[in-house]
Amino acid sequence: MFMTRSEYDRGVNTFSPEGRLFQVEYAMEAIKLGSTTVGITTPHGTILAVEKRVPSPLLESSSIEKIMEIDSHIGCAMSGLTADARTMVEHARVTGQMHAFTYDEPIGVESCTQAVCDLALRFGESVEDDDALMSRPFGVALLIAGIDEQGPQLYHTDPSGTFVRYDAKAIGSGSDAAQQSLQDAYHKQMTLVEAHTLALKVLKQVMEEKLDENNVQLAQVTKERGFEILGETELKNVIEGIAA
Amino acid sequence: MALYAQPPTSYSDPTTAPIEHRFNPYSDNGGSILAIAGKDFSVIAGDTRQSEGYNIQTRYARKVWQLTDKVVLATNGFSADGNNFVKRVKQRLEWYEHAHHKPMGLKSIARMIQTLLYGKRFFPYYVYNILGGIEEDGSGAVYSFDPVGSYEREACRAAGAAQSLIQPFLDNQVYFKNQQPEPGAAPFVAGNLPLSTILSLVVDSFTSATERHIEVGDGMEIYVVMNKGRTTDDLIGPGILSEGMHVEELGALGEGGGERTFLVTSPLKRD
Amino acid sequence: MSHHPAMWKQPSAHSSFNDYATFPLAQTQRHSAISHGATQHTQQPLVTGTSVLGIKFDKGVMIAADNLASYGSLARFRDIQRLHPLGKHTLLGVAGDMSDYQWLKKELDALLRQEEALSLTDSHPSLSPSNIYDLLANLFYGRRSKMNPVWNAVLVGGWDKNKKESFLAFIDLLGTTYTAPTLATGFGAHLAQPLLREAFEAKAGVDGKGPLLTQEEGEKLIDDCMKVLFYRDARSINKYQVAIITEEGITISDSKSAPTEWSFAEGLRGYGAQTQ
Repeated sequence: MFMTRSEYDRGVNTFSPEGRLFQVEYAMEAIKLGSTTVGITTPHGTILAVEKRVPSPLLESSSIEKIMEIDSHIGCAMSGLTADARTMVEHARVTGQMHAFTYDEPIGVESCTQAVCDLALRFGESVEDDDALMSRPFGVALLIAGIDEQGPQLYHTDPSGTFVRYDAKAIGSGSDAAQQSLQDAYHKQMTLVEAHTLALKVLKQVMEEKLDENNVQLAQVTKERGFEILGETELKNVIEGIAA
Repeated sequence: MALYAQPPTSYSDPTTAPIEHRFNPYSDNGGSILAIAGKDFSVIAGDTRQSEGYNIQTRYARKVWQLTDKVVLATNGFSADGNNFVKRVKQRLEWYEHAHHKPMGLKSIARMIQTLLYGKRFFPYYVYNILGGIEEDGSGAVYSFDPVGSYEREACRAAGAAQSLIQPFLDNQVYFKNQQPEPGAAPFVAGNLPLSTILSLVVDSFTSATERHIEVGDGMEIYVVMNKGRTTDDLIGPGILSEGMHVEELGALGEGGGERTFLVTSPLKRD
Repeated sequence: MSHHPAMWKQPSAHSSFNDYATFPLAQTQRHSAISHGATQHTQQPLVTGTSVLGIKFDKGVMIAADNLASYGSLARFRDIQRLHPLGKHTLLGVAGDMSDYQWLKKELDALLRQEEALSLTDSHPSLSPSNIYDLLANLFYGRRSKMNPVWNAVLVGGWDKNKKESFLAFIDLLGTTYTAPTLATGFGAHLAQPLLREAFEAKAGVDGKGPLLTQEEGEKLIDDCMKVLFYRDARSINKYQVAIITEEGITISDSKSAPTEWSFAEGLRGYGAQTQ
């Protein structure tokens, strides 16, 4: 390892001669260890779906929280070191509230995503008086789903602070296969129900355990109802739908 | 030794009492502004005299500012604060556009102005602001502020030196205060006057204020902001504006969403 | 205390041991018992200059100020210059506190030196009169907002090379700004401004669109106004300079005086020989 990386992976803010920041790249690797997470945009709203890994039957599965509300019209799902996401979601929530307070309007989905990404590169050795910082990059990727005057949107953020908008996106351990499935099945005029079904079908493909209402979570953002995490009965209905 | 062998002169003789000697960072530069909302347009006006005490500093100083394609701001009070306040508002509008890729809407500007004003609650901008323009839903709107940021949306508002002369007139003519509908006639509804009526009210307000208030006069600038698709036939054309008045269209500041802003200018008496 | 230029260092009605009001006394000195060690920005002008006049004419702008710096009612310095060029096409005429004026000169000269150095090495554009004016406006407003005012009223006159037009504007210790074709500070705003406006509008009309005064007419008008000010403003002196700013640059005249007539005073009770 040291032979090939020539120890350029020690300092978190040191470029390698090839122009790479290894610590950031390693952080991206951390996401590939995370559980699979899917987001799909439809004309009616954006949906998010996550796999909740339940390693022990003694674990209370409802305590695993991988989809969080940012504002009444924006939510996010995560994959990777989920504890890091709490910092980002906290920042996004404050930014959203500040925007509503200052401008008397809900924050835009892209602006909210930008605000989260502004945090991403604030790591490294802090200089004196620097309003620093974190010791390492975030080890988590987010799918941010929201709705504003531009319509339903889905953004993907990674530890480098880059954000990109997607129609449908999968992240986490099963993301390669899941993304391929999304690409094959996605179309622009999907209904919300179709999107729910597709998301769970994709998760089902890549999950090791059998998919049930305890090891997946579904959320949606619609114009009418804003952000909401689907309740147990609604989730069960969708699961029954894909079983049939 | 008597403690009060020499009583403090300040208590016995008011003319030698200590007087507070302190730099006063404020002034009042006179003038007046007003705005009236229509159904699908808004009119924002101000005079152009700037004075201090009995001195006319200049006969042309701007008090009304086009902020965006659908928003106009009028400022009145201490002119240095007013000019610098407008400068900050414009800077924030530019930052907002960079951050959010869209121009700030009227109600957002109103809220932001509140936060800017209240941010200096303990060293206030000595400025009365009136904001006018087109709301998101296409309606004409007027927002008025006090110097520390209290604000509300209204159908009309006058502020400045001649507020006490103009506001009662507008209350009567725009809000129909102290008027009764004809027996059997429909009840009055505020905020629906035609443009020609509102222009007459504005002109009459300023000519009257010029007659009765020494700080008002010299010139008048009337901004008319129209919603997209609205006719301009009641503003542009022969015989619509009275003698000496001049109208020009101000080009779009941004990409142009179809709203149009016109500037009507007219001289006022200079004495 | 009023900050109005007309009130700058007028003898205070509250003077307890300065009956002739010949020098300025800070109010706080007399109440030192109640003063304490806290930092105080609060100041008052001590050595002051009086009116500055400015007028636009057909080929540029002219600014005039007398050569006196007063210490209260004492004519303390009778040979100071209150007109200060900044670069080739901008000039300040300054009333108010002379030490603040000297500080201002130092700061602006340093800035202009830097600007000139930059313009030698690349195509750095020179500061226009309006650039300098905006800078001053920000400086004055910033200082007033820190409750530490620059105690002056300034006329900025200049020629804008790019727009090919003259520039004339006002700025004071509050950060108040305005522009007009004729301007005057302090007593000049009361005594000279009406004369300046009358003469200006007689040719240019009330809209200012007619022909402007010629340089000769302008100088004659300024001479008249400076004479009126000398007659009526006790803090003035009959020794003044006029700066002319045109496309060609700045010329500042030598000190001159207006011919005055005092024979009428002989008949005044308390001035001439007493007849009873």
